[in-house]
This record gives sequence, C-alpha cells and structure tokens, in this order.
Amino acid sequence: MTDTQVAENPLLLGLGPRRAPEPCAMVIFGASGDLTHRKIFPALYALAYRRLLPERFAVVGTARSDWTDDEFRNQMENAVREFGRDEFKQEVWDWLAEATHYVPMDFADESGESKLVQLLTQLDEERGTRANRFYYLAVPPAAMPEIVEHLGKDRKTEGWVRLIIEKPFGRDLASARELTKLISSHFTEEEVFRIDHYLGKETVQNMLALRFANGIFEPIWNRQFIDHVQITVSETLGIEGRAGYYDQAGAIRDIFQNHLLQLVALTAMEPPIDFTADSVRNEKVKVLKAIHTPGPKHIVRGQYGQGYVEGKEVTGYREEEGVPANSMTETHVAAKLYVDNWRWADTPFYVRIGKRLARRETTIAIQFQRAPHPPFEDAATEELRPNLLLVHVQPDEGVSLAIGAKVPGQGMRIRTVHMDFMYGGTFRTDLPEAYERLILDAMLGDQTLFTRSDEVEEQWALVDAIVATWARDRPAFHNYPAGTWGPVAAEELMRRDGREWLRH
Amino acid sequence: MASALSATDVHAAKWSAKDVSIGDVVSALHRLRSESAGETEGPDLRTSVMTHLAWVPPDWQEAAVETLAGLGDRHPSRGILLFPEDSPTDGIDAKVSVLAFPLSHRRRHIAAEVIELHLRGRTTEAPASIVMPLLVTGLPVFLRWRGRPSFGRPTVEQLVDVCDRFIVDSAEWADVPAAYRDLPFDRTACSDIAWRRTEPWRRSLAGLWPGIAEARQLSVTGPLAEASLLAGWLRARLGHDVGLTHDESERLESLAVDGESCPSPRELLSGSDLLSAELDEFGRDPVYEAAAQAASASA
Repeated sequence: MTDTQVAENPLLLGLGPRRAPEPCAMVIFGASGDLTHRKIFPALYALAYRRLLPERFAVVGTARSDWTDDEFRNQMENAVREFGRDEFKQEVWDWLAEATHYVPMDFADESGESKLVQLLTQLDEERGTRANRFYYLAVPPAAMPEIVEHLGKDRKTEGWVRLIIEKPFGRDLASARELTKLISSHFTEEEVFRIDHYLGKETVQNMLALRFANGIFEPIWNRQFIDHVQITVSETLGIEGRAGYYDQAGAIRDIFQNHLLQLVALTAMEPPIDFTADSVRNEKVKVLKAIHTPGPKHIVRGQYGQGYVEGKEVTGYREEEGVPANSMTETHVAAKLYVDNWRWADTPFYVRIGKRLARRETTIAIQFQRAPHPPFEDAATEELRPNLLLVHVQPDEGVSLAIGAKVPGQGMRIRTVHMDFMYGGTFRTDLPEAYERLILDAMLGDQTLFTRSDEVEEQWALVDAIVATWARDRPAFHNYPAGTWGPVAAEELMRRDGREWLRH
Repeated sequence: MASALSATDVHAAKWSAKDVSIGDVVSALHRLRSESAGETEGPDLRTSVMTHLAWVPPDWQEAAVETLAGLGDRHPSRGILLFPEDSPTDGIDAKVSVLAFPLSHRRRHIAAEVIELHLRGRTTEAPASIVMPLLVTGLPVFLRWRGRPSFGRPTVEQLVDVCDRFIVDSAEWADVPAAYRDLPFDRTACSDIAWRRTEPWRRSLAGLWPGIAEARQLSVTGPLAEASLLAGWLRARLGHDVGLTHDESERLESLAVDGESCPSPRELLSGSDLLSAELDEFGRDPVYEAAAQAASASA
C-alpha cells in the first residue's frame, strides 16, 4: 500500500498491495484461435483458481466462427482441461463459465459490432463490470487496424480501457509506426499493452533480481570482467502449419525482433532507478539504441533441411506444407552484436535463434574473463574453463555458476564444476505461466513487463537495417540439417574470434 | 507416530539411533547426502532458504507432522523437529531423513533434510545447545512453537534467542487475549498464524472505509484468538475503543460492525498454506504487534 492510500485508510497499513484488479469485462478478439485455446483461457482459469480475477468479471470471446455461448464454453473447457496447469475443479470452471460469453463477429458486418456493444452494456448492468474494458487482440497484424479503429470509435467516456496487442507489432519500422499512429489517435500509451510473453517468464524477471538484488554481480557486470555474452533461443519445432505467417516473417521477425532483443536489453541495461514501468523501459530503450547494426560478416542466416529431431525424421523447411519450394526465408539467425556504451564497448553479444535445432532452450550465458594467472602447473588447469554464469530461461529454469574446484586426491588438479540453483527446487510453488502474469498485470494497469512504442521502434529499426543489408548485399544463405545447432557458418562466426558456442 | 515426510518425496534416505550425540547426527546427514547421490544423476541439489525449527510437545505431534507433510516440498530447507519427552533418563534419540523431491522434467532431485530429535529428561532444558550446531550457516532460523509457550522458562527463552522469527498459533492457546502480553516482541520478530487467518477479513473490513471509521462494536463468530486480534486491530488502527461480542466457532464465519455484516472473503487457506506464508515473511510486523497489545489491554 502506498503512504497516500494508508493515510486515507489506516486499516490498509500492513495489508500489502493486493493484486486484485477492478471489475472489468475482457473481450478476446481471435477467440477461436490457437492462442486463446492454449494460453489465454488456461491462464484465465489459473487466475480464477487462485481467486485473482475480480469478483465482478466477464469475458467475451469474438471471432468469425458461428458459435453459441455454450459451444464456446465447451471449447474453452476442453482447452482448460488439456492445457491448464492446475487440476480441473468444477466449481472454479463453473464460476468462469458463467462469466463467459461469445459473439460471432466480422468487423466488416456492422451488426456483429453492435451485438458486442450491446452485450458489454448488458454485462455492465448484470455483472457490475463498470464499463471497464480489457481488449485482447489475439489476431493477425492485418486484422488489427480495423479492430483498433472500431474500438476507438465505440469507446465510452466512463470506465477504463486497456488494449493488449499480441506480437508481431507491425512487420517493419514503417508499419509499426503506422500502427502506433492509429492506436494513439484513439488510446493513450498508458492504455496500450504490447505483449512479449518472454517478459512474463519468471526467469526473465529473475534476471533483474539476479543483477540488481545481488551486490556481487553488478560490479563485475561489464567489459572489464566479462569476455562475452551468448544468448540462445532455440526450438526443436518446425513451423507447425504456420507457413503463411512464418514465410513472410522469418526467424528475424518472429523471434529476433522481439524475444531476443528483449533478452539482450535486460542483460545489458543499466540499473533502473526503481521498478516502475517507465524506469525499466527507459533503460531498455537506451540499450536498444546503442546496438550497432551488425555487418554482413557478423550475421549468419540459414534454413533447415531434412534431418532428425529427437530420433524422428523431419522434412526440410521448403518441403513444409504451404512453403514455396524456392523460399529464401531464414529459419535460423546467428549474430555478433555490440552494445556501444561505456559498460559494454568491445564486448560481443553472440546471439542465435532458430527452428528445428538440436534442442529447445533459452539460455543467457555470461562468460567471464579467464583468471589472469592461476598459480598452478598447466596440466593442473587444462580442464579449467572460464567462470560462466548461465541463466536458464527455459526449460529447467534456474541459474548455474561454473567455478574451478580442486579434484579431491593427491596433487593439485582443478576442474570446472557447476553450482546449480534450480528455480523450481528452491521455491517449490509452481511457476506461473507467463500469460497469467501478463494478463493480471494488464488488468491492473502495470506496464512494466510490456514493451513501449519506442522500444518496438528501436527493435524494428535494427531488424530493418539487417534485412536491408540482406537485400542489398545478398550474403550467403546457409542451410543446416534439422536437429543440429545450425549452419557451420554460425560456428565460424565465433571461431573466428577464438571462441565457441557453449556445448550443451 | 506418523512420518514427517511428504507423500511426494521420491526417495528418502534415513538413519535413526538412540542415545546419540549431535556429532552423530551431523555425520549421518553427510553420509545420507552422499548415499543419495548414487540414486540419481549426480547428487541431490540442496537449495536452502532457511532452517525451520519446530518445538513439538507430545500433544501436538500429529498436527505438526500433518502440517510439515504439506510443507515438505515447498520449503526444502533443513527442518529440525524437537520432541520434548518426560523421562527419568537423559538423552537424545534421533532420526535423520534426506528426502528427495523430483524436479519436473529432470531426473535430478532436490534434497530436503529433516532431523527429528526426541529430547529426553534434562536435555529438554538446553535445546539451544542442541540445535545451534545443526543450523544452516548464514540463513534465517524460523521457530514454530506448537501449543502455548511457557514464556520465562529457559526452554522458550533459549530458542527465542536462537531464532530470527518466532511463529505461534495463538488459536492453540487457552488464555487469549491476556497471553499476548507475553509475546517477546522486543527480542525477535513474532508471527501468529491466527493473525494470518484474519488477513482476508481485515481486507474486507478495510473495504468498508470510511464508513467503519467510527465503529464501536465488532461481533465475531469464530475462534477467540482471531476475534480478539481483529478487535485489537480495529482499536489500534482506529485509535478508539471497539467492543467485542464473540460467539465461539471453529473458524471465522462471520463479522459484523455495529450490526452491519461484513462481506465474507473468498480466500481460504490450509494449515500448510498459512505456515508457508509465515515462512516467507522476515521482518517484524508492527501492525500485528499493535493489534496483539491492544487485544491484551482489554483482557
């Protein structure tokens, strides 16, 4: 509780901030889609299970599918049973189902829009949602402008409005700016929540705790002590039937522009003065502004071919359904980035992302400088590697620190050992899904874990510059067999510097 | 006696013996941890956040074990359970368990250590000297005292001095609200699980502001401890006297302020949840201290 709140109501002292949102009606656009089934509704159920949703709450799904309320509820019940992380409790579901409605809608058809407006007005009266609106746009980018336009036109003067927008936000800097311009003509920046679900992950937030709650790390978190940083975002999955989207986006727009650059920003940012949304985002923007566009020798792209993933044969990208046989869309990007500022000058950030790689993982690895002069014989330290701090974002969330330790026995032999802190091992409560945290934050109006328009624009500016280089210089395009760590050229990218990607 | 182990542990290495020294216990801990390494891929990880000390008189053994079982894999720290026993002979009987809990999607395990010490005869009078060699270095010590502590007696005083946080459940005491006078607020941070149980109701009452500002009478159907603390809290926060009408019940069921019913909160926490919440708190709670003092002042 803030001092002001306590001064107004002395009974609040000591009760702590309760993360209970105000009454509201949530509207999910794209309610028939995969995201609603896999993430949004299971997250709503998890919040309801923990009684974190407001008592006076309603959720309205809209999409083109011609479903009734009951059909939508049945679909969502199945989704919760299949994808929810909690046991299915009938009373929890009944509470959520009662609050759930569906409006089949096509914005081209004005009658659908008026049905939604009527239903929301009705819910304000019946469920006491106080004209507070929480819009979740789980729709493709092409559908966003029309929806935003209609929502802006229909917005009421009473109640608050929050707008969650799924990535990708635009497909380049120009389109992102255009979308921002349209949104800002109807909504303020404080009403817009651009979601990057990576920021909702506990371990990503733990990066901030690790850096800024521990006095031992920050003094050495710079070019003087860190040799380089490696960030890996790898998937074993292919494009999973999303050829239409993915072949247009490629790895650089799908992952690099958002998740990866956010991880770079969180790793490299200066300490914020506090943990408010603007303080954190100001520091991240400074990092994004300081990233140099990598030259052609510092970026590698590639596409997966046929191969084996976890023992199963998989087809190459161009053989995937819906992908043109001559597609030049990259499914892998490796790059050497520099953050040109006082802290990081000349310290490379090696990053790699891709589909159909050897295993699924997201890891930030901080490799420190070698000990300058270990006073042991060479043979004693031949297996000794530099200290390494590994932040495992997923799976196996946690932190490992590699240190040198004496091998027990006669003489002095030193080996590298890992001290593991497993997140789920120390704090045994289940980690919340990123979407639970983000949906609740957005309902509460907390934008800390959402990206601001200038962040998005800086991210696109970098991506546009890289893509322009590709278009202009047509650098080599490297294929790699599915199930490997990417093209050989990605290995070369580090080997040229006398370094190598971590062996996992 | 039931086992203090959680049903979710995947394996447990155990050692027990009668008439042991604390050195024997420490050796057994080391040995069990080494042995557990052979059962998984590498040694079980030990990621402690505290030492959890519990003083469990005979009447409270079953309830204590039940709560600990619920906690088992939530706070995998070192747990030291002290069971005082009346006995003509002095000595310590010990049981040491290293429990391994699975890490999801991994074959490695997280280790939790539980040391059960049955203190016989005069050993019950020097518990601090027994537990101090067993505390995890550098981590806070939480002491859960089951039942009514006999404040002023050496047993209580010694352990209060050892711990960073002293956790009781005043609903287990027969002499509230007068007993709140004895809580050692000036020596350590005190927590009361009965106070924690009132939290959802305090939120509801806070929601009645500003109408509640001039409240004069609180009616509570629930345990006396919770009723007394709620009334004490209102007195302390509002700065004037608030009368209490109390109807006994096993749990907090209803509240009314000056005859007006207070909305029932939705949250209901289990015993393990309540203790777990207390184990996540570190500093002193001045609001609780003021409520307990105001409650005892009316006794």
